[in-house]
Amino acid sequence: MSMHRFRPGALVALVAAVSLAGCELPPQESTQNGFRGVGMQQVYSPERLAGTAADHQVPDPLAPSSTTDSSRAGDQYQNLQVLGHLSNGEFVRTMAAMTEWVAPKTGPEAGCVYCHNPANMASDEKYTYKVAKQMLKMTHAVNSEWTGHVAQTGVTCYTCHRGNQVPEGTWFYTDENQSLRHYLDREDVRVQTDAALRSESNNLASVNQTEYTYGLMISMSSALGVNCTYCHNSRAFADWEQSPAQRLTALRGTRMVRDLNINHMLVLQDVWPEAKHAKGHLTGEGTLKPWHVDANISRGPLGDGAKLQCSTCHQGVYKPLYGQPMAKDYPGMYPAPQAAEVPMATEGDSMPTQVSLNP
Amino acid sequence: MAMLSFERKYRVRGGTLIGGDLFDFWVGPFYVGFFGVTTLFFALAGTLLLVWGAAIGEGLNGQSWNLWQISIAPPDLSYGLGLAPLTEGGLWQVVTVCATGAFLSWMLRQVEISRKLGMGLHVPFAYGVAVSAYLTLVVVRPMLLGAWGHGFPYGILSHLDWVSNVGYQYLHFHYNPAHMIAITFFFTCCLALAMHGSLILSVTNPKKGEPVKTSEHENAFFRDTLGYSIGAIGIHRLGLWLALLAVIFSDLCILISGPFWTKGWPEWWSWWLNLPIWS
Repeated sequence: MSMHRFRPGALVALVAAVSLAGCELPPQESTQNGFRGVGMQQVYSPERLAGTAADHQVPDPLAPSSTTDSSRAGDQYQNLQVLGHLSNGEFVRTMAAMTEWVAPKTGPEAGCVYCHNPANMASDEKYTYKVAKQMLKMTHAVNSEWTGHVAQTGVTCYTCHRGNQVPEGTWFYTDENQSLRHYLDREDVRVQTDAALRSESNNLASVNQTEYTYGLMISMSSALGVNCTYCHNSRAFADWEQSPAQRLTALRGTRMVRDLNINHMLVLQDVWPEAKHAKGHLTGEGTLKPWHVDANISRGPLGDGAKLQCSTCHQGVYKPLYGQPMAKDYPGMYPAPQAAEVPMATEGDSMPTQVSLNP
Repeated sequence: MAMLSFERKYRVRGGTLIGGDLFDFWVGPFYVGFFGVTTLFFALAGTLLLVWGAAIGEGLNGQSWNLWQISIAPPDLSYGLGLAPLTEGGLWQVVTVCATGAFLSWMLRQVEISRKLGMGLHVPFAYGVAVSAYLTLVVVRPMLLGAWGHGFPYGILSHLDWVSNVGYQYLHFHYNPAHMIAITFFFTCCLALAMHGSLILSVTNPKKGEPVKTSEHENAFFRDTLGYSIGAIGIHRLGLWLALLAVIFSDLCILISGPFWTKGWPEWWSWWLNLPIWS
């Protein structure tokens, strides 16, 4: 009889063990980004953060170059279109740093030869050389024109690359990520209407657009490791007056990404080699199979080049590399000083005219 | 004040938990008792403090007598589990003490009345579960998260803002497993009450000329339609537990949101996708 006795204690212990296995135990850390009491908070698990902390560490800066070096790299080296304003020492240091950041691993395609022909370092015969040049221009643009988003922290190659030749978190066209076209050629998110009832005349939102918006927001949320209330007061998602300041930074960010995709990524369309084409992911009917971005692929299933999104830089945290300054140690990440001093009223002045509180 | 004919039987001395005979008397139809006095004190103090808070414009919306907008908000998270200045969350803390005192006093007054009546403690227990919902939200969960600022504000609209924002912090609260179970208990409770209520209305309102039906009819009806009748006492036990479990799992669902899970609830279900059966 007792052999078959039901043991509730054992069952409870089993259920408790299984439940706790899926849990994060307190204490947690929390931050507040709105008026007290209305739940404008983020709660983080310190354990979870500690587990990924090493991924977001800034590498130690290389030993600084001589401060008394008055040479100009552009005078000594050939074909220097982007970094000619650096001193010889700083130029070599920047090259060494970029190798560390982008192609540090051993193998036939690592080190200097990832981009350079060792027989003629000035040659742009390798496609990676052309890409790297464009990426440096992009970095200069981010650090000089988009300080509304990156502030004085700035970015370096490492912000995205993290030691990978192709950064994780880029995207290509697929059926599944239509929402990411917001980062390329779609207008700002406009789903909510001011009218009490939906009408054809004042609200063009559709289920499709709503789905895109939701997908876009979730991509931002997971890219930054934050929840909806980091940028929105959920009582009125669309209302800028009630939103935390982070929402404006995010808006500038999406416009920055759109600018970078159009002016720096799309221009490389013909540079990406066919060999790194993810064609195999296209079915016979021309639709896309589910697949994941592969670090060795620089062209998507439709042949389009890699494009940026929030997670390309952020990689899961609210500020890339937790906001640790890195660009300040590398003058090569900034354009030539005289270029930066040109009054911002020209094409560089993209921030104030594009962003207003009530677009 | 007039007393019902059977009421005298229940107006007996004794059964008090504290205070002996001191407050063991009635005012009109109301039993007083030590906990009746503390209930009155805490409820009055708390309510007056809320009115004072509304008068000085404590909270997000500033001064307003608009009933929807009045809000007494908890302190900033930076105060942790410490005391905050009166107009920066301290008032919320005092009101919380008053509300907790009033609710628990009322429960203990129910215990005393139950003892006088010689009945079980079902009523104070059931009421205590309702109080547990409040205490979980403003005491237990904030303590587990390390700051009183995690409590909800005392305001009609502001506490809804809290609900909305805290829900979105976990992305999609309907994926919270305990929330799922709690909702299921709520709905099942409604279903049981609807079935029971319609049954009682039916048997007590027979056709003209027919007698009121008895529990045999009730049992026969449900045995015929569902194959099972839980019985006259059984339905009340079932109804009570459905209601209590709805609240108990509600407690659990907000208690685990934050202290035991910081990501979106949809993400929690990854364990299902990662089961070795198909992953």
